[in-house]
Amino acid sequence: MTAIDVGDGEDARDGLMTLVITVVEILIDALEREAVRRMESGTLSDAEIERLGSQLATIEAEIDQLKADEGIEDGVDDLRGDLDGLVSDAIEQLHGEPPTVQQPGYSVFGGEGE
Amino acid sequence: MSHDRTDERGSDEHLEVLDDQLADEHTELPAIETGRYLYCLVQADADAALETTGIDGEPVSIIVEDGIGAVAHDCDGIYDSANLAQIRRWLVRHQTVVDEAGQAFGTPVPFQFDTILRGGDAAVREWLREESATLERALAELAGHWEYRVAVVEVEPIDDEALVERDERLQALDDRIGDAEEGTAFLLEKQFDQRLAERRAARRESLTADLEERLAAEAREVHTLERSPSASLADDVASDDSGSNDGETLCRLTLLAHEDDEDAIGSILDDVAANDGLEVRFTGPWPPYTFAPELGGDGDKNAAATDRPNSQP
Repeated sequence: MTAIDVGDGEDARDGLMTLVITVVEILIDALEREAVRRMESGTLSDAEIERLGSQLATIEAEIDQLKADEGIEDGVDDLRGDLDGLVSDAIEQLHGEPPTVQQPGYSVFGGEGE
Repeated sequence: MSHDRTDERGSDEHLEVLDDQLADEHTELPAIETGRYLYCLVQADADAALETTGIDGEPVSIIVEDGIGAVAHDCDGIYDSANLAQIRRWLVRHQTVVDEAGQAFGTPVPFQFDTILRGGDAAVREWLREESATLERALAELAGHWEYRVAVVEVEPIDDEALVERDERLQALDDRIGDAEEGTAFLLEKQFDQRLAERRAARRESLTADLEERLAAEAREVHTLERSPSASLADDVASDDSGSNDGETLCRLTLLAHEDDEDAIGSILDDVAANDGLEVRFTGPWPPYTFAPELGGDGDKNAAATDRPNSQP
């Protein structure tokens, strides 16, 4: 994936909505992870945990509702999948060898030439 | 060509790969008036013969010098084509000839597709003579050894319940969720999901690490390959192979093992395959494409050979 296509005209609104919701979802995921981490670390009181949990649950429900209303559930899933792929590719590239080295498929040795 | 370049190079062979030079020439193919297209090297007697046809129906002969035979055919140009089907046919033929040579003479040292030595039979003999020490060692080291490829595929992901059963923390979380208020339960469920994903990944890792360790005990060498095969011609040719999307590949390995150890390796793989939802795909014996040493000239830039491992299904 090299570009995020939000479409044009009629599609543009859906495309933009998909993009915005996707980004918000990723943010919420990060918030949830952080909330779990804090709950684990024992720095939150039971009441705080309950409040944090119900707030996040509400946000998640709102987002789900919004996706259903807009009919963009699949679009958001696809975009997240694409972004995952993008990140994996980037990590693989960081890890070392360039994915393809173009080399000729032949070897000639001996004799004249070169 | 192949991206499975986990090749092992011989320790003290002098190596000259004319990468840059060859890359520059890619658009303009080197001219060859008389040449010998090389398939593989085998241990052979002076009167050895191999009856088969090679690439483009060329008659294959075996040029023997001092106990080492080069399986070859006469050629006058590089095999190059924009037609993918044509290249596939060539590759398959190349591989077939190497296989047949292996059946007739024991483990071959395969050459990469399109490896050509300029000159006639005499030039091949001269090269065999010059390199005899290296070549004899390579052949002797590989004798009786073959390459085997293993892919472990999770055709059916393990059930959540099965993972919970094996993990006390998941059970504890599950209990807490039941007792908790709504908001807390929400966070606990998130934690449960995270833990589940971790356990799933850990299970895969321990399965593959365990397999590698057990295989390493039987095989001479084990290499880990990328989990998804790179697009290569050979994969397309063997269309029933692991490229299909019917599961997640946990690991792909290639190993060099003695033919006598094949049964032991088979039983290790049977153990893995006995796990629910796992499938083991095993191919071989192949000529030791991945494990063949790189053979090079003796510093003479014009006498460089590469035998990168060929694409293998």
